Amino acid sequence: MIEVSGMKFPLDRKYYTKNGAHIWLSVEDDIVKIGMDAFATEMTGLLTFLTITKKEVKSGDAIGSFESAKFVSRLFSPIDGEIVAINEMAMKNPRMVNEKPYDSWLVAIKPDNIENALNSEHILGTEEEISSWISQEMKRLEEE
Amino acid sequence: MKIFNLGDMNWNESQLIYHALAHKNIEGLVLHSTKDKFVCLGMPQNPKDELDLDYCNENGIKIFRREIGGGTVWLDRNQVFYSLILRRDNKDVPALPKHFFKKFLQPVIEACNELGLKAEYRPTCDLLVNGKKISGNGGGDIGDCKVMAGGLLLDFDYESMANVLRMSSDLRKKYLEAMKENMTTIEQEKQNYPSKEEIFSILREKFQDFLGPMQEATLGDEIKDMIKELDEHYSSDAWLYQRGVKNPGREIKVREGVYLFETEFDTKNGPVEILCETHEEHIQKITFSNPSLISPENRKNLEESLIGAEYDKRNIIYVISNVPGLQTDK
Repeated sequence: MIEVSGMKFPLDRKYYTKNGAHIWLSVEDDIVKIGMDAFATEMTGLLTFLTITKKEVKSGDAIGSFESAKFVSRLFSPIDGEIVAINEMAMKNPRMVNEKPYDSWLVAIKPDNIENALNSEHILGTEEEISSWISQEMKRLEEE
Repeated sequence: MKIFNLGDMNWNESQLIYHALAHKNIEGLVLHSTKDKFVCLGMPQNPKDELDLDYCNENGIKIFRREIGGGTVWLDRNQVFYSLILRRDNKDVPALPKHFFKKFLQPVIEACNELGLKAEYRPTCDLLVNGKKISGNGGGDIGDCKVMAGGLLLDFDYESMANVLRMSSDLRKKYLEAMKENMTTIEQEKQNYPSKEEIFSILREKFQDFLGPMQEATLGDEIKDMIKELDEHYSSDAWLYQRGVKNPGREIKVREGVYLFETEFDTKNGPVEILCETHEEHIQKITFSNPSLISPENRKNLEESLIGAEYDKRNIIYVISNVPGLQTDK
């Protein structure tokens, strides 16, 4: 686990970063569970709505939406595959994602190719990569 | 950037326009209004949970569920709308919603000031005049764009707003009172208020000061075709009644920081309904139904222990479950 700007990032998983996404990925057997990281939940504020609308997904595709601060944002898939499970508890109570982002997976995806699923320049996993990425993200927000 | 000065539009087209521009990836500012009366829901809402559908049907009130956030709003000819459509990759567009609203509501504040209304921004996306809401806004990602849509109230039909919502008569009465206490209109603030055209002209000037020169644009075939295509989608039952959040009880925003909650709790002796008004997430007023379950003394104690407390449903359940009289007074 590392802590950057007061936010925690467990190192037992990876992070998808394309186009400002803040999605964690955790591999369990041949399934990848994904969720929102501490930066996303901290910065966007209290989630009031979460929905998943896709089944077959491609990396970078919008797979659903969430609302916070009266703004409906898209949720993006980090990998190609098929959504095989949705965490209905999180859909019904999005606040749990704010409270425990790393325990609150959103969907489980069966990747088209498990070997290559996490090989992407947009998926980070080392302490240095994550630390540098979050620092850049903080700087970007300060400039807004 | 383009500016679409569209004046009075049909109810559905007044909402479809910003969806169409976003889906077509066209950056622009739309200034418009509607000649109809209808109710417009945020994407997270389901009309079956939110609205008194019988009342809407009996009164010919149409329903639109938009693809952006915010709550249910009553829309009619006594409001002016502005919709801002910007590409997500536009470097001037903040990523965070709170920054997005704060930035792009600035021209609306300037327009209000020009009208002689001292407007202030109330996070996340309300504008207040003399502490009362005069403008509500919502936003969202549509296609590859970010959209902010909102309006200024010239006048407001409080009764219709209260009547279209699904709620108990007690809550409706409270809601009506709370709206009148916490909302205002240009007519209320200024005896001789300007025409819609004048307000559009001021909004146009302030947005141009903020965003740079804009080119006057009309709805070409490409946009009209997209509106037609989207109309089929957004008017379908599959979209309108798509599953949204089903909140236990009712939570109604009066303005930013002021909410009404109606919730039922099961107790050993039967259900107890509470109705409470919160200001800045703290309980301001609270009332309990089913008097036979709570003695006057316990009711008073309950109210005293909860008024001023932070609104937390779990805490309310805890407090109620610890009132001995609640289980024995029947």
